[in-house]
Amino acid sequence: MLTKLIFEFKRLSFRSVLYLCGATLVVFCGIPLIWMLFTSLKPLEVLFSYPPAIFSHYTLSNFKRLFTDTYFLVYLKNSIVVAGTTVILDIVIATFGAYSLTRFRFVGKELLASLTLFTYMFAPIMIIIPVYVLLNDLGLTDSHLGIILAYTSISLPFTLWLLRAFFQSFPIDLEEAAFIDGANRFQSLVWVVIPQALPGIIATSVFAFVVVWNDFLFARVLLTSTHLKTMPIGLQDIYESTIVDWGLLMSAAVIVSIPALIFFLTIQKFLIKGWGMGAVKG
Amino acid sequence: MKYKEHIQGLSLVAPCLVIIFGFIFFPVGYSFWLSFTNKQTLYPDYDYVGFGNYVMLSGEEEFWMSMWQGTIFAVGTIFFQVILGLAAALVLNQAFRGRGFVRGLTLFPYMLPTIVTILLWKWLLSTTYGPINYFLQVIGIIDQPVVWLGANWIMASTIFVGVWQFFPFVVITLLARLQTIDLELYEAAAIDGANAWKRFFFITLPQLRFVLLVVILLRTFFMFTKFDVPWLMATGGGLQRLISNWPVYAFRRTFGQLQAGEGAAISVLLFFALVLMTIIYFRIYRKEEA
Repeated sequence: MLTKLIFEFKRLSFRSVLYLCGATLVVFCGIPLIWMLFTSLKPLEVLFSYPPAIFSHYTLSNFKRLFTDTYFLVYLKNSIVVAGTTVILDIVIATFGAYSLTRFRFVGKELLASLTLFTYMFAPIMIIIPVYVLLNDLGLTDSHLGIILAYTSISLPFTLWLLRAFFQSFPIDLEEAAFIDGANRFQSLVWVVIPQALPGIIATSVFAFVVVWNDFLFARVLLTSTHLKTMPIGLQDIYESTIVDWGLLMSAAVIVSIPALIFFLTIQKFLIKGWGMGAVKG
Repeated sequence: MKYKEHIQGLSLVAPCLVIIFGFIFFPVGYSFWLSFTNKQTLYPDYDYVGFGNYVMLSGEEEFWMSMWQGTIFAVGTIFFQVILGLAAALVLNQAFRGRGFVRGLTLFPYMLPTIVTILLWKWLLSTTYGPINYFLQVIGIIDQPVVWLGANWIMASTIFVGVWQFFPFVVITLLARLQTIDLELYEAAAIDGANAWKRFFFITLPQLRFVLLVVILLRTFFMFTKFDVPWLMATGGGLQRLISNWPVYAFRRTFGQLQAGEGAAISVLLFFALVLMTIIYFRIYRKEEA
């Protein structure tokens, strides 16, 4: 009886420690995010009340000011254009590359695969300095073309690596069946391989989108005109021009975080499995 | 047929090759070359100066300062990320109600743009209106609001923000590995009477060894090369000299003082520092293995 009681006690205390740890994680990660959302919805006069008010009347006025008084919508459009174009370029190029690396045999294949991993050792600052100098010679600084080229190249190694892992993970039988039915390489890629890899391709695209969307350094260096700037540097500009307007800043922060939220909702489950395959950046 | 396969394979991967070599390896090589020149960022003509940039940099106080501060930032964030990430991964590997939600929420900070993380924490940590100072005063840990973003605390705050943003990386990677550990190992140990601590030290930790090495190595690459976190934490407060690192220093040299040659030299040194650290990690790992 006593041993059973002790066992039961131990089990219960383990459970409660577990829930306590879980709750700590929720507070640690969640409260700051909730605070961001609440701040974005608070009217100016409540924002600087002390003690900080949790409950007040909420309003969308910060968002309205953000859209009308700042260049936010311009930055937003630029970010969508730049990140969207980069991801499309990236995925098309990397899909062909990954298909080749997993379905063909040729000289230097393994070497090439490991070279992509080696690029992790190059600091972004080490790439941006020469890239700026070179793009400047070509007259491509302060242009979307230049930054899309730069983003495509920095995100290609990890999209290639990730897609290669996806392509490796499903069997080659179906493709062979397609060949017997008279399909050529290209047809089998489009009709057999890509549909199978689609979940992986979508996950990789969203991940690449978030990486490019979040980037600060390349945008800071390469874009100087207001009408070309992307979200992260635009947001810094808004911060520097309105230094304590936290309602406005947090409403911008909420909108900029939406891709992260989409990422979180769509492929979070998938991510934990796929992570070991090299989806790492930052 | 064989020959044709080579050609087909290579031509499909050719665009990747062109981009990876043309836009990554070539610029990196060019960076090495620039580091031996007096190239100015916006001016086309330049001369070869040998090791001139390196000699000059090594004589500068700011060079050593930013190396020191960057190391504190990187080592501090890596240490706490790994400890916190390991603890969180162990918790999230247990079955409990709402685990899926907590897992998802834990990953969230990692996907946020750095600018959002920094602005959010600057607001939370602000001296007068910040909820953190208020909360700490209410529960009696501090009497007066602390100037978290002032000279005394800026390094600690920056490390904290870095840990908050990047510990999820450690969580996901370790969690992926934890899920593949054979449960029979634990059952056997439990039959042998090993308690939870023993099971952790003699089963979990050895199984995690390799992935921990990889995680620490990758975090080392990412934290020593981090530009946006220290840069953005310092803006608006004139604290650039308190939380600099080599990427920030190289950025200021190249795009502030417009000396691309000198900036390139700093980034080349950073590269070699990473190579050196990688070698040391693998040495330690092998030695422990033996």
